[in-house]
Amino acid sequence: MNELPVIRKQPLKPIDLVKYSGASGDFNEIHTVPGVAHEKGLKDIIAHGMFLMGWAGEAIAEWFPDRKLSRFKVRFQAVTHPGSELFISGAADGNKGEIIISDSVGEVKLRGSFEIQ
Amino acid sequence: MTEISNHEIIFDYSPFLIEEGKIREFAKAIGSTNPIYFDAGMAIEKGHRAIPAPPTFATVIDFWNERDFYQLFQQIGLDPNHVLHGEQEYEYVQTLYAGDVICAQAIVKERIEKKSMTFFKLETIYKNQREDIVLVNRSTLIERAAASE
Repeated sequence: MNELPVIRKQPLKPIDLVKYSGASGDFNEIHTVPGVAHEKGLKDIIAHGMFLMGWAGEAIAEWFPDRKLSRFKVRFQAVTHPGSELFISGAADGNKGEIIISDSVGEVKLRGSFEIQ
Repeated sequence: MTEISNHEIIFDYSPFLIEEGKIREFAKAIGSTNPIYFDAGMAIEKGHRAIPAPPTFATVIDFWNERDFYQLFQQIGLDPNHVLHGEQEYEYVQTLYAGDVICAQAIVKERIEKKSMTFFKLETIYKNQREDIVLVNRSTLIERAAASE
């Protein structure tokens, strides 16, 4: 597989999660209200898994602007708190590719595969 | 591991009109600057018939629906406070466009109990106003028993 250029995202901010909550309609307060996250035993609010998958989808479009996505599958592996700096890396061979989102210490947050036409 | 037969659980979402403004808001929220989401002329230049929906837009159809994802949870008996999203898969059959009216139906394909967790495998099929299947969505939700927290 050929490695794809790594995409470095700006450190995650709480407002990013507020905007994603409103846009997606997923208002689970674990993503926006620190007190609710603390009650759940988390040190801070956490990103929606689907927010990271949204980033991953845009990364694929950036890597392959003239191809059409036909299949996209991910596994959510770890929680992401604000302040995290995330990196999107990938590799592809023909119509198939793999994608990983990890943080600056290498913890994998999302791992997935995709097919393009 | 116990598998409980639950194949009869079917949930119909309400018909959902995909609006241009909602696509723009969603695209901005995921940090996209791709002009096809913001400019219909650019989308058409790229071979689309209107502004397309981003790959994970189905979330909007599920959560902003008149009969939404939380009502589905209620029907399955899932407590949204104890649910984790484990896996997500999309099979793109046709592009979803602004102006399309989407009808989605979710089916609980499998419910597996494993230690203190229950795994729900859901499959949702989205059809457009022409009754064409446009998208297949498979998700795995994990419900943790309250006692384990």
